[in-house]
Amino acid sequence: MLDIRDLTKQFGKGDSAVTALHQVSLSIAEGEFFTLLGPSGCGKTTLLRLIAGFEPPSGGALVLDGKDIALMPPNQRPVNTVFQSYALFPHMTVAQNVGFALEAQGRPKAEVARVVEKMLALVQMTHLRDRKSAALSGGQQQRVALARALAPQPRILLLDEPLSALDMKLRKEMQVELKRLQQETGLTFIFVTHDQEEALTMSDRIAVMNGGRLQQIASPRELYDLPENRFVASFIGESNFLMAQKLAGMIEIEGSKTALPSGFAAAYDGPVIVMIRPEHVVLGQGPSDAIRLTAQVERLVYFGTDTHIHMRLRDGTPLVARVQNALRGGAIAKVGDSVPVAFPQDALRLLPDTEA
Amino acid sequence: MAERAFNIRRLPGVATLAIGCFVILYIPMVILVGNSFNAGKVIGHWEGVSLHWYVAALHNEAFLAAAQTSLLLATLAALIATITATMAALATTRAADFRGQGAIHLIVNQPLMVPEIVLAIALLIILAQVKQATGYTGLGYLIAAHTTFCIPFAYMPIRARLEGMDLSLETAAADLYASRFYTFRRVTLPLLAPGILAGFMLAFVVSLDDVVMSDFLKSPGQETLPTYLMGELRRNLTSEIYAISSLLLLISVLIVAGSWAATRKKA
Amino acid sequence: MGEAPNTERDAQNADARQRWRLALPAVTIIMVFSILPLIVVVLYSVLTPGDYGNVRWVFSTEGWFSVLFERDIFDDTLSLSDAHLTILARSVGLSLLTTALTLIFGVPTAWFIATRPPAARAFWLFLVTIPFWTNLLVRTIAVQEMIRSEGVFNRLFLWLGLIDQPIQMMFTNFAVLLGMAYVFLPLMVLPVFAAVEKFDFRLAEAGYDLYASRLFCLRKVILPLVRPGIIAGSILVFVPSLGAYVTPRIMGGGKSMMLGNLIEMQFGQGRNWPLGAALSITLTLLVLIALIYYTRLTSGRQGRSHG
Repeated sequence: MLDIRDLTKQFGKGDSAVTALHQVSLSIAEGEFFTLLGPSGCGKTTLLRLIAGFEPPSGGALVLDGKDIALMPPNQRPVNTVFQSYALFPHMTVAQNVGFALEAQGRPKAEVARVVEKMLALVQMTHLRDRKSAALSGGQQQRVALARALAPQPRILLLDEPLSALDMKLRKEMQVELKRLQQETGLTFIFVTHDQEEALTMSDRIAVMNGGRLQQIASPRELYDLPENRFVASFIGESNFLMAQKLAGMIEIEGSKTALPSGFAAAYDGPVIVMIRPEHVVLGQGPSDAIRLTAQVERLVYFGTDTHIHMRLRDGTPLVARVQNALRGGAIAKVGDSVPVAFPQDALRLLPDTEA
Repeated sequence: MAERAFNIRRLPGVATLAIGCFVILYIPMVILVGNSFNAGKVIGHWEGVSLHWYVAALHNEAFLAAAQTSLLLATLAALIATITATMAALATTRAADFRGQGAIHLIVNQPLMVPEIVLAIALLIILAQVKQATGYTGLGYLIAAHTTFCIPFAYMPIRARLEGMDLSLETAAADLYASRFYTFRRVTLPLLAPGILAGFMLAFVVSLDDVVMSDFLKSPGQETLPTYLMGELRRNLTSEIYAISSLLLLISVLIVAGSWAATRKKA
Repeated sequence: MGEAPNTERDAQNADARQRWRLALPAVTIIMVFSILPLIVVVLYSVLTPGDYGNVRWVFSTEGWFSVLFERDIFDDTLSLSDAHLTILARSVGLSLLTTALTLIFGVPTAWFIATRPPAARAFWLFLVTIPFWTNLLVRTIAVQEMIRSEGVFNRLFLWLGLIDQPIQMMFTNFAVLLGMAYVFLPLMVLPVFAAVEKFDFRLAEAGYDLYASRLFCLRKVILPLVRPGIIAGSILVFVPSLGAYVTPRIMGGGKSMMLGNLIEMQFGQGRNWPLGAALSITLTLLVLIALIYYTRLTSGRQGRSHG
């Protein structure tokens, strides 16, 4: 339903121009919970503002339901935003905030009142309908902002880091609530966040961005299991990066070899970077097709459910393994020990990057 | 592609009206300054560019005396107003409500709530009789009157500064064994200095600007710059008036530019 | 009654006493040179005019009567004083018009300045501050030059052949209005600017996002939130306009007097001090009403519900 094609945005002119978006292309389907994920300054908020219409693009197209809306003013786009700061109108009550869009559209009073009540019920704010928005708690403001943006029944709801101002407990609650709302309304959500956990738990698909460029678009599981580059691998979850040699369908790390994992048929031979998640590193011999090395234990960090074992390979490369704690297990390893480590062949990911 | 598609900060017609507003503000002043360079005596009959009227003004004893009076008056009035206003500001801020706090605040601001002409008349009634009784016709009356209406102007920025000040700094100083006076001198006063300076400048300019008070309360033969200008205006419109006006304009430009530069350096 | 509360109260009292001592110089100056004289004005308003100015110490309400009424010299009948009523009406009317005019030009200007990028904003603000700090008399002289008989406009119109004879613009209500609007314009721009600068433009963004047209957004979001600045600017223009003396004197002369000039006359040629005192109190009361209305507007009712 929403097609973004080669969307580019530059701020400033001439030498001082900063490109915030480099030819971003993606498609979002009807009813999808789509997340833009990346560190601050990656262009995710700029992309959202372009979709909302607050900024005109410098190039590219923004096609909604077959119509290019790139230059359509925000008040004509069937797209509403939940702002990071909520941007509730401080001089209006909760109900007036929620009814704002409908009033702006000149809908009849009765209809406005009906929709406002429905929306307030949806976000469970009916009891505070006549409260001034400035007198609400963060979580309540959040709900009002949501109801306000949902009231005019937009084609797409844009959410700009809406949970970042809430404390941890409330954030978890709202994550569930948001997902429920999205499923109940069947609405398309575009959600911006820098919080990978938030993105992984809520989204149907995630677009990872960095430096104004799209890094990867995939489902949460795919993103975690099959990151396409080093940025995605390190931004989502924890990763070990290892220098390796690729030679004739094999990869070799510090003298230990295994067959190239399927789906990584890189064109040339030579040095490559291999990624492995800490929970996939095996202490001991591992399966027969594993790469087997020796590492020295430097530090053990106890996390309750598991222990993180910080080690170093012979060439000095740091390595972290995450080992589940057994109920009555003794020490897994001691600091200073030299331990055998194994990387199962199917846990290895080849990354296109050349720098470790 | 049109980069200016939709700008929420832009409202239609605003820029036009704003530019119009600046043109309206500046054209009369530019013409005034232009006229001051007219070589001819009669305004409107252009006889070439000349600094003649500036030279004439600077040789005009009456003008020089008036300028001297104005500067002395403004300096003294602003000085007294700033000192007393600083004390009053210190008294009314940073305290739990104490009895009479509101009253002090109200009294200090009272001259702002009464039209200047009314205050001038009120003072005239009393001071005329004092003049008659004592025979003193010096600058004292004007200093007293100017100080009075300068106090609220000096008080405003000083109080604002005090209210925005971090109390914990003084607590920290007290914690470090500083005496109350030492704390005031080394912590409070330096932090307050920009407010005091702003207060003094405001009071100084307000005093320098004043026409009504001075016009009503001056003794015979006494003139400040604005009353001198007013008197000249009553007599005749000459290019010299425009030269003097331009000089006053220059002073305000210098003051604004000066305070601008000062705040810039701080920031 | 324990010891502790007493000691605490003693400390509080000592603190209050010390604060009063600190404020004493300023309070004394204003008491002696402003409040006391104003009390004398009130007193003078109920005395009898003296022969050569001043007053005779005989109680009389004549001064107050004369504010609005005239006593016929022959038959002692009372009638409304047309002259005074005209001046009163002119004072209020021209002050309102001045406020309106400065609103029309000042609010867009303030908006314009507040929405410039920071560097440019400083420059535009500088341009408003200069007239703000420039002597009122000088600025009045500058407008006068524009509209007097041999002034800029008349010469321009003559040269263009639009008129054969200079138009008499000076000494009219128009001249006073023009002069006051010109000199008080910066007083409108600065507080409105401060309000617009504080305005959170994300709220306007939210408004447009929610289908508001420019007008709807202006009416429902922007104006209610910059209203305090607009009210402050209006009061800052209206109050000095009402009490204006210098500008109406130069621009209006004897033909288009305002209250301030009428008051001055009573202490000059007119020589009716009680009337002058009564007029002064009237003017002060008008100003106080405006100020009280202002505080009512800004406190409590802020952003009242609509729709």
